Amino acid sequence: MVRRLWFRPLVAATAVLLAAACYRPVYSSPEIRLVSPLDPKAAAFIEVTGISRAHEHALSSAPPAADGWQRVLRVSVKTEGPAANPIAVAGHYTIADGTLRFTPLFPFDPGRQYEVEFTPDAIAGVPASGTPLATTVALPPRAAASLTYVTQVFPDGDVIPENQLRIYIHFSAPMGRRGGVEHVKLLDDTGREVKDPFLPLEAEFWNGDRTRYTVFFDPGRQKRGILPNRQMGPSLVAGRTYTLAVEQDWTDANGNALRERFTRPFRVGPPDLSPIDCAQWRVMPPAPGTRAPLTVTFPESLDHGLLFRAIGVRRDGEVVTGDVRVDDEQRRWTMIPSAAWSPGRYELIALSILEDLAGNRIGRAFEVVSFARGDEKPEPAVTAIPFTLSALR
Amino acid sequence: MRTRILATLALLALTAAAGPWSVATGPVSAAVEGPQMTSIASLAFGPDGVLFAADTQSATIYALELGDKAGGVAPGALAVDAIDQKIAALLGTDAKQIAVTDMAVHPRTKNAYIAVMRGQGLDAKPALLRVDGAGKLDIIAFDGVKHTKVTLPNAPDAGTNPQRNPRQQSITDMAFADGRLYVAGLSNEEFASKLRSVKYPFASVDNGTSVEIFHGNHGQLETRSPVFAFVPYSIGSTPHLVAAYLCTPLVKFPVASLQPGAKVVGTTIAELGNRNRPIDMIVYKKDGREFLLMSNTARGVMKIPTDGFATASPITERVASETGGVSFETVSSMKGIEQLDLLDVGRTIVLARSEGGSLNLSTVALP
Repeated sequence: MVRRLWFRPLVAATAVLLAAACYRPVYSSPEIRLVSPLDPKAAAFIEVTGISRAHEHALSSAPPAADGWQRVLRVSVKTEGPAANPIAVAGHYTIADGTLRFTPLFPFDPGRQYEVEFTPDAIAGVPASGTPLATTVALPPRAAASLTYVTQVFPDGDVIPENQLRIYIHFSAPMGRRGGVEHVKLLDDTGREVKDPFLPLEAEFWNGDRTRYTVFFDPGRQKRGILPNRQMGPSLVAGRTYTLAVEQDWTDANGNALRERFTRPFRVGPPDLSPIDCAQWRVMPPAPGTRAPLTVTFPESLDHGLLFRAIGVRRDGEVVTGDVRVDDEQRRWTMIPSAAWSPGRYELIALSILEDLAGNRIGRAFEVVSFARGDEKPEPAVTAIPFTLSALR
Repeated sequence: MRTRILATLALLALTAAAGPWSVATGPVSAAVEGPQMTSIASLAFGPDGVLFAADTQSATIYALELGDKAGGVAPGALAVDAIDQKIAALLGTDAKQIAVTDMAVHPRTKNAYIAVMRGQGLDAKPALLRVDGAGKLDIIAFDGVKHTKVTLPNAPDAGTNPQRNPRQQSITDMAFADGRLYVAGLSNEEFASKLRSVKYPFASVDNGTSVEIFHGNHGQLETRSPVFAFVPYSIGSTPHLVAAYLCTPLVKFPVASLQPGAKVVGTTIAELGNRNRPIDMIVYKKDGREFLLMSNTARGVMKIPTDGFATASPITERVASETGGVSFETVSSMKGIEQLDLLDVGRTIVLARSEGGSLNLSTVALP
């Protein structure tokens, strides 16, 4: 067999590399680093490399209790001013192959500085020999996100009843967890703030992804004969103009203030004390065989949020699904079906939870005289309005 | 042949020299998978030290069997100043990024358990902490915690619009009594009051009964106001729930009236003042009498004797002043209270916001 020229150098190189891989110095030169894995789902962790064999052996054979690990490697949030005894960030420690690793229980905050102190002398079972190390690490801050702003407020008509019950505020992106009653103001026509018009509620009123917040007017202020109404007067008075203001200092999910202050003027009309009357709804059936929209119009504006789940369509008892839209100041509901309409008998279904702007439901006003209930009809759970799509047109 | 062997060895050597390959460290795999909570709000203790924790983000209530994790520390709970900063430091963040959502005292060990949400973004994480009799603050990791759970049914939906965002409800309070967990809930669309009762241990298909609660209001007008704090309480020998609503009627109703689908009309026994949200309510005994202690957002802490509950006439007429019905006194020494629970026979434990803005955990003698 022919010996190639590269053979001997290869053997030598292999020997050197193998030796280098196996050899670790007795005296350590540790280094601290923050490691940010490429996989975005994996959490960043802190490593101290160059741990000597003796230190590693002491830590592996007799692992310290939680406090003990923290005395060896302490990671803490950097604070302004000196902290006498900084509290260690909770996390998990491992030691292997000359590397001591700390993975925090909760991910490190991007852009936040953490102080790391490595104190090898705190390792029990080894004569004090190491030099302590300290450094500050930080993940890069999140890229500056564009600012969040109010996209819509419902109801969006120009006139609302004196006993308006709730307002939905929609945002362009998720907002922070804190509720917003302190950031929403009602101003009268002189620009003065109306005191405490809303219910003192907070984080409860976000939707799932925090892009919609519900503000409830205090019904005690609006309801006839109730003490708050008599003491402070109603929040809204028919005939007057008001402005709803959403202040800029309400922070979004990134901790940034809103892009700008949002205002919406509106006029107030008389109170709405009547229940919803389905008999006055107009149902405009589409042509069968098409995916044209089914349209339903109401004589009054209804609640924007509830319209998306309190009205539905059934055929022979089966739910028909589609894309629901609401417009014309919440007086029109349309549905474009997922599949073409087949001819047949349909029902438009309205659930009892549906409310109008003042909280009146189908067959039941928001304000009800309660104690003469003997002959009162119970409100219907479901109202069905039949309509037929016939093949013959 | 030898060439190949040597080439392979060279390759191996190169690999070894490159250093140990980073392997993502995961938590030690537990024999039991812990609860996958996405949020944590209301807390309530049940029988045998089970801790009920509401995950409103996923409309699920977990029954955490803390077991060993509940023991091994000093009994009781010691005051801790600026606990919000300490919790934040432990969680690797700052105090503005954490929100305490509830606090409950373990009935046997008397340690204080604190529910916290860490972060403001959509990736905010739940955390459960414990303060013991030495003032030590520990995180209770969810890994390996034995648990059962019940998912609350979705809010009513006609079903036509499948893109509908399902999350509408949050939980305002929970309490366990006589084999059932009572849960008061709130919708972010309907202005309604829902009280659900679920049998515990949770049955696989039992989502509990749900009732709407009305109360006679001054002026004889009914309203569907939300319940914010309630306690199980026996009046005479009949089990009742005493509930504080928003703005702030105090209402009693017998537990027996909570039948599925029923519309329960409670009896308003006090009107505690408007523009106010009740936060916590506890029952305690002092000098042979029983009292309710209730914390509020805007009206301080109220001490309400229960002697008159059985015979209190329902409020159906307008009250002439701001408050009416069963008498109460405001405990003026308790200010800024954000969370409150009964600690032991003589003391309550509170989280109070100081004027400087920090949150302090302290124990206060029952008034």
